[in-house]
Amino acid sequence: MTINSIFLMVLTGLQLGAIYALIALGLTLIFGTLGVVNFAHGALYLIAAYCAVFAAQSLGFGLAIVLVPIILFIFGIAMERGLIRFFYQRPHTDQILVTFGIAIVVEEVLKWMFGANNIPFALPSWGAGQVLFYGLGANVPAAIPGIRVPMPFLEGFAFFPAWRLLLIIVTAVTIFALFALLQFTRFGLVLRAGMRDPEMLRFLGVNVTIRFSILFGIGAMIAGIAGVFGGPVTQVSPTVGMALLVPSFLVVVIGGMGSMLGALVAALLLGMASSFTTGFAAAVGDPTAKMALTALQQIVVYLVAVVVLLIRPRGLFGKKGIFE
Amino acid sequence: MKLTDKHLTRRGLLKAGAATSLVLAAPLHFVRGAWAQEKAIGTFPAGTSGSSVKYGFIVPQTGAYADEGADELRAYQLAVKHLNGGGGMLETMKPLSLKGNGVLGKKVEYVTGDTQTNPDAARQAAQRAIERDKVIMFSGGSSSAVAVAQQYLAQDKGVIFMDALTHSNDTTGKDRRRYGFRHFFNAYQSGIALGPILAERYGKDRRAFHLTADYTWGHTQYESIRDATEKQGWTTVNNIMTPLGAPDFSQYLTAAINSDADVLILNHYGKDMVNSLTQAVQFGMRDMQKNGRNIEVVVPLYSELMAKGAGDNIAGVLGTANFNEKLDDPGSAAFIKAFTDEYGFPPSQAAQTAYVQTLLYSNAVEQAGTFYPPEVIKALEGAEIEGIGPGKALYRAEDHQCFHDILVVEGKAPSDRQNQYDLLKIVKQVPREEVTYPADIPAFGGKDAQLGAYEPSA
Repeated sequence: MTINSIFLMVLTGLQLGAIYALIALGLTLIFGTLGVVNFAHGALYLIAAYCAVFAAQSLGFGLAIVLVPIILFIFGIAMERGLIRFFYQRPHTDQILVTFGIAIVVEEVLKWMFGANNIPFALPSWGAGQVLFYGLGANVPAAIPGIRVPMPFLEGFAFFPAWRLLLIIVTAVTIFALFALLQFTRFGLVLRAGMRDPEMLRFLGVNVTIRFSILFGIGAMIAGIAGVFGGPVTQVSPTVGMALLVPSFLVVVIGGMGSMLGALVAALLLGMASSFTTGFAAAVGDPTAKMALTALQQIVVYLVAVVVLLIRPRGLFGKKGIFE
Repeated sequence: MKLTDKHLTRRGLLKAGAATSLVLAAPLHFVRGAWAQEKAIGTFPAGTSGSSVKYGFIVPQTGAYADEGADELRAYQLAVKHLNGGGGMLETMKPLSLKGNGVLGKKVEYVTGDTQTNPDAARQAAQRAIERDKVIMFSGGSSSAVAVAQQYLAQDKGVIFMDALTHSNDTTGKDRRRYGFRHFFNAYQSGIALGPILAERYGKDRRAFHLTADYTWGHTQYESIRDATEKQGWTTVNNIMTPLGAPDFSQYLTAAINSDADVLILNHYGKDMVNSLTQAVQFGMRDMQKNGRNIEVVVPLYSELMAKGAGDNIAGVLGTANFNEKLDDPGSAAFIKAFTDEYGFPPSQAAQTAYVQTLLYSNAVEQAGTFYPPEVIKALEGAEIEGIGPGKALYRAEDHQCFHDILVVEGKAPSDRQNQYDLLKIVKQVPREEVTYPADIPAFGGKDAQLGAYEPSA
């Protein structure tokens, strides 16, 4: 295995983790603050991806990037005001049932409107193509187009899709922005206080309700960002929401329910685990080891979950008393 | 009860043996007329006593293959319309016993069910159609896992099942059943048809990397294409099984890029194929070079619906198909015209096989002069029919696989398309003789593969 293959596997792991992280982030944010297990989060991703396809086709990709998160923000607030708020005081099982129900309705409505097969979601021309990474003294032919990034440890050069690198960057920026919002703003301060003791805040005359509603909207908005940037990668079909929800929920559980840092670490862990077991399965020569690794790459995500939860039942960064 | 009470005594064993050999020695011919009493089998005669008969169309209405299911259902409805009122392939099919006044003078009606692209749900839906609606035949399916499950149910119940979309070798291989018939082609035939063309286009010393859907169809597809390409001199570098419905294939594509393979073969169907192909293009695999040659991507099983989903990425990608809406033989033309007139767009290959299967079954009933399943099965076995597609089709008696010409197709570049349905072009029509193989080869279960009895034991 060369240094170049390992480098590509790391990038792949980061990118796989990025999609999980973006979806898990919204899930864990809503759970950590509002205490609601939102199984409709995959459906929010789905709505975002479908909106993005049509916005990109009619208005251009640039506008889709701006519009779709706003649409999802509004949708999120409407969902919180119209349905979710009635479930704050109900048990988690009720919340799961109602949000899972929403997920099924959204999936079937989209299937009814646009069919069960994929809708092509092409990359914008500025986001297509490859980024070229080159090592020291590499002789890169001048004819190869696209962005070039020096990477001194590489032998020769290697490519990675530009859009997937962008996805990694967008995820990093989103996480940082969310962290800053909660940690360094007055809004974040009130929210964190509201999570501790909403009643006391109400006595002090703070309108917690509206802030909770906005927070739910932000969670949906992150699903919107995931839909616009992840849609061209995962493609757009009615089942993709559920296909992403399961590993993303796993990320939340492995990271520790409600922990944002945990979700980030767990997403990276799962991404790297998928990427490296597949990479090793392809690279290994011994037939028995190959068979074992090929089987392993299909279940590695769940295996990691089992091991982590056996050692740390509350997840990597889980706190006592949450979801117990 | 003591356990020993259950044991057969030596005397009992002898008696049972004698009885069995007596039964076996009796002439078990079901030649029409010679077998005066038709026994009750499955829904016969209960399902045929009225002035109409019911067919059961069990297709995926929800789940991953719902679009294929919807197109199958359109074709079934059209077939019923033609059976009752004439038209379509009833004007081209030879030999033809159907008269366009129903089947054996009985009006054809139908019930539908949902397989949910899930073998358990499919069995339940079929069971309901058989027990509640007394369907005399059922058809449908858009997954080999479903088709195989339905064939076993058909054999248990004694109700004939006409497979629709199923491409796994197992359907007419190790899982072949007396009560199951497949008109669609299979993975092995895809290999025979595609191998020489791949070698001709891309050279004889290519190195292939396979990604394979992890279920019965994917496995037989991989083995068939691997054998066919290795016969042409290709090397198989690697094969990785991918879970069904994976949203992101980047780890698999990275593994392919990291290898020394210069051809990527995607043994995927439906959404998996659309995703893996689209993402391979995003990874620049169509513009990349390995071993001094362009990397090529191959999709062994193509469908119009998949081509639509993959958009511009199919340009120049080779694969195989059972049918294409540009075929101009009289049978295909009649069907395409009738379908397009009815629905406003051309039929997919899922629709074509569903339509033909319904007609083939009905024609066999008319020819046998009875709905009695063993007679209908015999009429289908070895039947050679013209006017249901290019050339003559043969329903082989040994394994119930229908043999006919199949197609090697290539995705069209957006600039070559006449309209939104014009996605694939026919590279070669491979004659039936070239895609015929012995029924007992290992890929199809070898000598152990048996169809089972004409009369189900139940």
